[in-house]
This record gives sequence, structure tokens and C-alpha cells, in this order.
Amino acid sequence: MTMLRLRDVGVRFGGLVALQDVSLDLNRGEILGLIGPNGAGKTTLFNCITGVVQPTQGSIYFEGRSVRMAPPHERARRGIARTFQNLQLWDTMTVTENLQVPMDAIGRRNTFSDALGLPFSSYAERSAKERARAILHVLELDGYGDRLAGDLPAGIQRRVEIGRALAMRPKLLLLDEPAAGLDAHETERLAGLLHTVRERFHVSMLLVDHDMSLVMRVCDFIYVLDFGKILASGDPADVRADPKVIAAYLGEATPELSDAEPTPQLVTGDRPEAAASRAEPGEILLEVDAIAAGYGHLEVIRNVSLNVRAGEVVACIGANGAGKTTTLRAISGVIHARSGRVRFDGRDITGTSPERIARMGLAHIPEGRGLFPRLSVEDTLRVATDATGNNAPLDVAYDVFPRLKQRRRQAVGTLSGGEQQMVAMARAILARPRLLMIDEMSQGLAPTIVRQLFRLIDVFREQGIAVLLVEQFVESALEVADRAYVFEHGSIAHEASAEELRRDRKLISSSYLGTEAQGDGVDIEVVTNGHANGNGNGHFPHPDLMEIVSMRMPPALKRALEERAEREGRTVAALALELLEEAKR
Amino acid sequence: MWRFVIAIVAFAILARLPVGLDAGFQFDAALAVIWAFGILSLVLLTGYAGQVSLCQATFAGVGAYGAGMTVASLHGGYLLAIVVGVLFATVLGVLVGLPALRLHGITLAMVTLGIALVFDRYVFQDHLFDWFTGGAGGWQVSNASLLGISVDSSQHLLAAYDVLLALFCICAVLVVNLHNSGAGRRFRAIRDSELAASTMGVNLTRYKLLAFAMSAGMAGLGGSFYPLIAGSVSPQPFWVFTSLQLAAIGVLMGVRYVPAAALGGLFMAVVPDVLTRYGHGTFLNRAYEISFDWFQIAVGVLLVLQLILLPDGVWGDLRGHAARVRNTFRFKRAHEVTPA
Amino acid sequence: MSAFAAYTIIGLSLGGIFALAALGIVLIYRVTGVLNFAHGAMGMFSTFVAWQVFYGYPHPGMPSWAVTAEAILAGLAFAVVLGLFLEFAVFRWVRNRPQVVKAVITIGVLLALQSAASLIWKNNQYHLPIYIAPQTSTFMLAGVPIGANYIVIVVAALGLAFGLAAFLQRTAFGRAMRAVSDNPTTAALWGVRVDAVGAVSWVLGSVIAAIAGILITPFINFDTTSLTLLVVDSLAAALIGGLVSLPLTVLGGFILGLLETYPTIWIQSLGLPRLIALLVILTVLIVRSPRGLPGVAK
Repeated sequence: MTMLRLRDVGVRFGGLVALQDVSLDLNRGEILGLIGPNGAGKTTLFNCITGVVQPTQGSIYFEGRSVRMAPPHERARRGIARTFQNLQLWDTMTVTENLQVPMDAIGRRNTFSDALGLPFSSYAERSAKERARAILHVLELDGYGDRLAGDLPAGIQRRVEIGRALAMRPKLLLLDEPAAGLDAHETERLAGLLHTVRERFHVSMLLVDHDMSLVMRVCDFIYVLDFGKILASGDPADVRADPKVIAAYLGEATPELSDAEPTPQLVTGDRPEAAASRAEPGEILLEVDAIAAGYGHLEVIRNVSLNVRAGEVVACIGANGAGKTTTLRAISGVIHARSGRVRFDGRDITGTSPERIARMGLAHIPEGRGLFPRLSVEDTLRVATDATGNNAPLDVAYDVFPRLKQRRRQAVGTLSGGEQQMVAMARAILARPRLLMIDEMSQGLAPTIVRQLFRLIDVFREQGIAVLLVEQFVESALEVADRAYVFEHGSIAHEASAEELRRDRKLISSSYLGTEAQGDGVDIEVVTNGHANGNGNGHFPHPDLMEIVSMRMPPALKRALEERAEREGRTVAALALELLEEAKR
Repeated sequence: MWRFVIAIVAFAILARLPVGLDAGFQFDAALAVIWAFGILSLVLLTGYAGQVSLCQATFAGVGAYGAGMTVASLHGGYLLAIVVGVLFATVLGVLVGLPALRLHGITLAMVTLGIALVFDRYVFQDHLFDWFTGGAGGWQVSNASLLGISVDSSQHLLAAYDVLLALFCICAVLVVNLHNSGAGRRFRAIRDSELAASTMGVNLTRYKLLAFAMSAGMAGLGGSFYPLIAGSVSPQPFWVFTSLQLAAIGVLMGVRYVPAAALGGLFMAVVPDVLTRYGHGTFLNRAYEISFDWFQIAVGVLLVLQLILLPDGVWGDLRGHAARVRNTFRFKRAHEVTPA
Repeated sequence: MSAFAAYTIIGLSLGGIFALAALGIVLIYRVTGVLNFAHGAMGMFSTFVAWQVFYGYPHPGMPSWAVTAEAILAGLAFAVVLGLFLEFAVFRWVRNRPQVVKAVITIGVLLALQSAASLIWKNNQYHLPIYIAPQTSTFMLAGVPIGANYIVIVVAALGLAFGLAAFLQRTAFGRAMRAVSDNPTTAALWGVRVDAVGAVSWVLGSVIAAIAGILITPFINFDTTSLTLLVVDSLAAALIGGLVSLPLTVLGGFILGLLETYPTIWIQSLGLPRLIALLVILTVLIVRSPRGLPGVAK
């Protein structure tokens, strides 16, 4: 009954703890969701289950057997399939060939017979192609069979990956961010598709995604992961309302600012003539006009337009995968916008190289802080002053961050997270950009340090440096920002002033955790009568599905059932149960 | 079906080509087929399975020495010699494949280059391996004969060339068949994404070693004919630079496609000799001479240019362009294809 | 005992040359992501240019040290030009390609350079070496006479290694190079001129290869192929440093030099040193392979 069982799984990479004491149960026929903020360890967990990574402790059981000794291809044989977050299709092969490989691998084809073109091989080929065609039909991919996988748009590629995994006749399908790069409409179709897949192919699924509308709609049960540990679990409605989960995603509301840490003072030689105050932002400094961008075939953002005025602090908020980081990268030149224009200080900088953009006064502190691990603090800061050619004395930065002066000969990679963020901000202080873009400044940092850093942003604003801030932790961002753009599914869903957003919390949390309406898409009830035993952590398998999934039916009968169910507008499960009840009588 | 027809027609045409030419050209023609085997082996190993290898000539050399040893030292028949040559080459292929299980890309290239160098300078030349290499002079196989073709006969080059060509055509068809077969797909899956391949059930160990074994065996098959056409074996034809040239010309022609192998072999053996024979004279009153060095310079420069401009090789990109032209016509007819 | 000491000196000198060549390889690899198989060929060509100036033209009235200096300078000047050419004509255009493709490009460069050299200087002659110090002068170290050229090599190798380290640590440009080698994308975001850094790294690598080539001429049977193929030993030394750490690379070079020299005390074999180099490559790669090499994309 319990198909997949994880007990106290832990993974360490050197000093970094990726997963800790993770225990999880997945029942046959279920769609299990796994959610959590960025860096929570979800992909690592997938890698453990499929065998790409070995857990340092704990055990994993699939269908009652331990998978410890089995290499990835062996686990595939046992029935574990997966899709990949960053799409690992075989680009130079056609869609049909992509589906055939797992079929062959499980079916053990003979190499010599293939090479000689013996009749057995051609028969096996034809039946494999038939099966592939059938799978493609269910996924609404007819006609794509002979296209090269690498040439297709991302939405189609995602479905091809699912098809490839299904070709293996798996019992368990692991889906790693299947909605990444899809817009709202495509995501909705994907949700429907996953239900269809479960019905037609009788697979259980473990789904990881940042897109709450998908997760809430599709999953029967959800586990929440944070910092490598299970934070909460339950059915979608409960999880959405759980205060711990909300805190993990949105950050904590900041209590009264304590004065324990003194506000950093920026001592500068030259004060700009017009110190912009909160009420009067200056002229438009950055103008982003309907850009679209992505990675490879994935189009992550489309039709994104925003602007930042001199002296403003603007925040970009939204769930993970919504496109905030990609937008910043398209602005600073790390990736190229595929359409649209970016203008900085009146000049068109679309397609310009990042180093030139940086020299123009647009600084970008990327996710992960963008530092040089092997360089010392002092050398790092000197690189900043060398690059902008202004030879500012480093003491300017050391006065703001005295701790850095102590550690100036230390390699940046050995500093704590907070200290590293200080180095990144110190670079901004020394480089004196016109516009500073900061991506996920508070990631992995303790609240006191986060507060200090947000105060620093205030100081930047006073110095006339405009700030464009990407933050997952909404509360803190809204404290310091003038305006905010809310990102959803790769576009901007709304733009509002910080005050408006603070008043109407619902606008934001729906963006992160989905709304009531979306949750209602799940029409499967949890039945808690006697015959189904919970398996220790309080969730019950759905008996309808269990019954159907374990029945063997001749295909003709199955098709007749499906047709009748469609005509009557019911699920096959309900129909079959009813017929069984009748037959019993 | 068509493939067999093409192969037979090609064979018929090519078999007649060297008739009436002098022995030097006939030797080149036969050598061209041996190197074509080398590039074919590269098509399988690098083009299909994605494993970089800079030691294909070494496999051919091992095949040549194995055959030579069988005939000259063990006094076996030439058929046995070929089998022994292929066997030695295949075993070496598996051994080379073992580090490949853990290495990729440039690190694998480094290791195979090291192996090519070690065999070139050490195994093929050191007295420790005299039992294999026949000492400083290499094996002399003047009394060998295969299927009635005696090495000493004046017609032997042509006959050996015919046998080689026939074998090559068969192997080429087999490799082309492999491309669309289950094993070929598994090789290509390993090339495109090893991670996905192993997760989707492909046994990486088995298939990587299989690719190396098959590739080395094929190169060794070609190499084992070398004593037959040359009458002796020496390390020079199988030195490091030959391996590098095979790799360069393979990539230049398009290492994913079998016809590239044929073209490449021709390129390697025939063109330099043609250049040397006819490439001298006077130009603007100064004597010039085109030697093999010019050929290699051209290969190097062309390779660099090609990788910058046409990443899929000459053949590959032509094919790609043709396919794209075909596709634009095809999709004008199809129904509207909307994403998702 | 003195035979052992003599072999040690030879091994250290050979190792010094490997260390130098390996430094160039690691520098280029870290900054541009190109594993330069043509490193030996580049050094070879520059060495032949120097040789040409030294032996190919008459130098009436010039003292021998001046001739040597002129030859070396000519070789280094050529190395600079070669490095610039490769950066601007070739590698600038393939910056974002996978590492394997860039490495195969260097194989093309290797072939072209080697045959060009062979064309100009013919491969079957015996080329006289370039001696920095007079061939017969010796130093006495603990009662053992050591050829001056060996000392020159070790001193040059260590000196250059330290000089390179100082350049990287103390100068602004050196910092910029370290930044790019740590993370090119981030460096671009900071405004570092990545193109200029790439060009300088090719020039430096080329010059270091030229020095290594010139220094090794007394040691080996020096022709176009043997110098080109020294890249394999340099790669082995670079691997000992993990393709990252410059000090470890230098150490690796010296260790490899000793490893290749000592067995020749007992076994007379021309090819044995190559086998040792290969074994070192294999061992290092297999031992390190679970972690992989830095920046080596899978």
C-alpha cells in the first residue's frame, strides 16, 4: 500500500546539510506534493530517490524493498521515473525516439540483432513505435512524433518529458517543476493532464513545484520542506492555512525595530545636490519595455515592463519561478532579452555586454551574492574600485562595515552569509552606481542582519542611488520600498505602491500560496472509514483509486468503461465502483 | 533496403577506381580504406555515443601488430591474423573504456591522448614488447596470403583493396543501421544527456564499454589489414599525430554521420599523396612544393574555422540545411501548431 | 650517492620546465575555460623562432650573451603575437561554447602549428640546443658539480612562478584575472573587462610556454614533434594541481620531473617517462573524479 517510504533521510555535501530527518510516505495511486522555499532541498530529495545522489543517512524503500544498492538504471527498471527541472531531453533525437529509449532499456533489446536488422528487431521496433504513438495521443502530442526534441517549444518539451517517463511503464513518476516556464493557461492544462495521466496510466506521482495553483489543484497530500527538513504536511487546504508555512514563504512581519544594532552611517565626501526624499522620485532611470527572456528553449518571462526612477526603491515580489531573477538578468545583460527593449539613463542597453552596463552605473548583485570565493575581502573590494576607475579609498566601506575590516585578508568564500552580503553591499558603496539591483538579499540570513541591510537600502536612497529589489520575503521588502511589482507566471500581475500592498495582504499570499478557488479543483475526497489505515503520519490513501488501480482489465472492457464514463460525465473510478457494487448484488 | 543498394553501387564504382593506376596509388587507396575504418570507429564512439577519443589510430595499430605477430611469429593464416588483431584491439578498447566510465569531455580527451602517446613511444617501440611488435624492424609478412591473395604477388594490392572495401561497405551499413536501432538510440541518449539516460534505464557501464569495444574492434579490423598491403608493420603510421588527424578530419567532415567516414578516409590517404606528386612546379618563377605538411596545416586551419562557423561538420551542416528547407515546406501544409 | 644527486638535479630541472608549462596551461584554462592542447606546439614554434635567430643568422661582432638575449627576445616577441592572434582570431568567438569544443579547436591549432613548423624547419635535422649558460660551466653544491644550465632552469622556473604569483596578487590587472578565473559571469557584472583579461592570459600563457620550450632544448632531442608532445607531461603536472592551485601545479611539475627521471637510473627506455606521465594523469583523474575538476562541465 505504501509505495514509497523515506525514513530519516539526510544528505550532506561537505559542510552543507541539504536534507535532514526527512520522512515521507507515498501511497499507491496518490499524487503527493512537495513544496518549500528556494533551496529547501527538493531536487536533492528527488536525486536521492532516483539514485543520482546517495543519502548520508536514512533509508528509502520502494514497494517494500530498499533501493540502497540499486544504481539509477536499476531503479528505473523497478518502476521509478522522473522528469527534470531543466529539461533533459535528448535534443538530437526525435520525440518518438525519446520515448523509445526507456522502452528498449526496460525491454532488453539485443544489439546484434538490431545491427543486422533481423525480423525480431523490426517487430519490436514497430510495437515500440505503436506504444509511443499511444502515449503521445494521451498527452495531445499527435503529430510531434518525428520532430526533433530540441526544436520544440518548452511547453511541448515538458509534455514530451512526461511521455518519456511514462514510456517506461513506471509505477512512480517524480515530476520536478513541470510548470517551470509555463504561463497560467498552460499550467492549467498541465493540471488536467496530470489527472488524466494518473487515470490512464495508473501511476502514482510525486510533484515538486513552486506554482501553488498547480500543486493545490492537483495534489492529494502535501509535504512542506524548509531548510532541508519537513516543516508541515497535510491536505492542500490545511497546508495553505498553516501559519508556519505562510511564515516560511512570506517571511515574518518585522517587530518593532530594536536599536541594538546601530544604523550604519555612510560617510561620503560629496553629497548629491538634490537628495531625493521618499515623496519625490526623480526622472525615469531604468525603463524596461515588454521584454521576453529565458534559457535555451524555456521562455521564463514574457511581456515584462517596469521602470525605476532616480531616488526610488522598487521591489519585485512573487513566488519562486515567477521570473524575478530572470528579469534582473535580462536587464544587466547576463542573458539576452529575446524581444523588447531595456533603456538605462536614456540609452538603449538591450543586448549590451554586462561589463559595459556595469560601467555605465547599473550594478547588479545577483542571487548568491555574486562574489569571488577565492579572493580576499580586500582584493574583492579593490576589484570593484578598479573596475569603476574611481579609486575610492576602501575605508569608506570599512566604516560602514567594521567587521569587514577585521576580516579583510580572509577569503570571501570562508565568510558567513551575513558577512558575504556585507561584502556585496560594500561593493555597491564603493562603486557608487546610479541604480543598484539586488536579488534575494536576505536569503539564508538571520533577521537582525536582514534588518541592518534593509536600513542600508534606505541610506542608499538618501545618497541618490535608486534600488530595484527582488525579495521573496515580502514583509521586509515592503517596509523599505516605495513601489512594488508582483510577478506571477513570468509576467507582472500587478503594480502598486507599497502601502496598498501592505493593506491588502490577500493580493500577495494568493500569489504565493494559491487561492481558495483554485484549490477546489481537486474533487477527490478523503474517505476515513474503517478499511483504510493511515500509515503513521495521518493521511489515508484513497480507496476508490486503490481499487481501480489494482484491477486487471482486458483492454476492450476498459475502453468500454471509459467511453461510458465520458458519456455519463463521471470518472471511471466512480463508474467502475458502481458496477462492482451492482455485480456484488 | 536502400542502404544496401547504395552500398553495393558504391562498392562497384569504387572498386574499379584504382585499376590501371600505379602501385603507389593502389597502396594509397587501400590505406584510405583503413583510415576510413578509423574514422568510422570515431563516428560510432564520438558521433553516436559522445565519448571523446584521441587514440583511434592506436587501436588500428594494435590490430596491425596483432595480425603481424600472428603471421610472422606464430605462423598462422591471415584469417586468424585478422581475428587476433581485432581481438587485441577490442580488449584494449574495453580497458580504455574503463576510465571513461568516470570521465567526460576534456578529461577523457587527456587520458586517450596519453594512451596514444604511451603506445606510440613506449609499447610500440620498447624492447619489453618485442614479442608483440617484432622488435626494431617490426614484422615482415612477405609470405602471407589471404583468400588466395599473396602479399608477394603483383596484383595483391588491388585484391586486398577489394576485400577491404567490401568489408568497409558492410561495416558502414551496419553502423548506419545501428543509428536507428535500440542500441544506437541508447548511445545517442548517453551522448545527449547521461543523467537522463541512466535515470531512464540505460545501463551506462554496459553501453559505454560496448561503444569502446565496438569502436576499437572496428579500427582494429582496418588496422589488421595493414601488414597485408604494406608487407610490414611499423609504429610510424599509427603514431599520435595520426590519431589527432583522424579526430580532426572526423570532426571536420561531421563525426555524427557515416558518409563522413568514407569521405574522411579518402581525404586522409589520397589527398596528401596527390598533392605530393603533382603539387610541385614553378609559380611566378619560384619553385614550390606541396608536401604533407601543407595538408596538415590545411586540416588544422579548416578544423578551427569549421568549429567556429559550422559546429556540426561539413556533412552535418549540409544535411541540417537540407532538413530545414524540407521542414519549412512541410509545415506550411500542417495545421496550426500552437504551444501547449 | 652522487649519481642519485645528479639524477635529482636533472629531475628537478626537467620538473621546473614542466612546472612552467603547466602554469601556462592552468592560467589559460582558469581564465578562458580552454584546455590548451596546443600549448606545447605554441612553445615549440616560439622556440624555433628563437633558434632561427640564434643559429640561422650571422651575428658579426656580437658577444655571445647578446646573441642569446636577442634570440630569446625574438622568441618571446613571437609568443606575444601568437597569443594575441589566437585570442582575437579564434577564441574570442567561441567563448560560450562547451569546453570540449574549445579543446578540439586547440587540436586544430596544434596540427596547424606543428606542420607549419615542420615545413619551415624540416623535421629530420638535429637541432642544436640554445644554451643560456655556457655548456661546460658548473657550480659546486655540496661537493657535487652541477651543470650551470640546470641551475638556470630551476631558478628561472621558480622565479617565473613567483613573479606570476606576485603579478596576480599585487596588481590590479592580476586581481582582475583572478576574479575572472573565479567566476567570469560575476566578473562581468562587476565591470571587469573580460575580453582584455582573456587576451592577456593567452599572451602570458604563450610567453611562458616559449620560455619553457627554450629552456628545455639542452635536454631532449628537440624537433617539432617532441616539443609539441610535451603538452602531455604538462597536463599531468597541471592535473596534480587540480587545474586550480598555482602552487600545487608548480609542485606537481617538480614531482613529475623527478618521477620521470629516477626510473631511468635502472631502466633504459625512451618511452618509459611517457608511461609515467600517463599513469599520473590516470591516477589523479580517477582519485579526484567523484568531485570532478573545477569548472569542468559534465
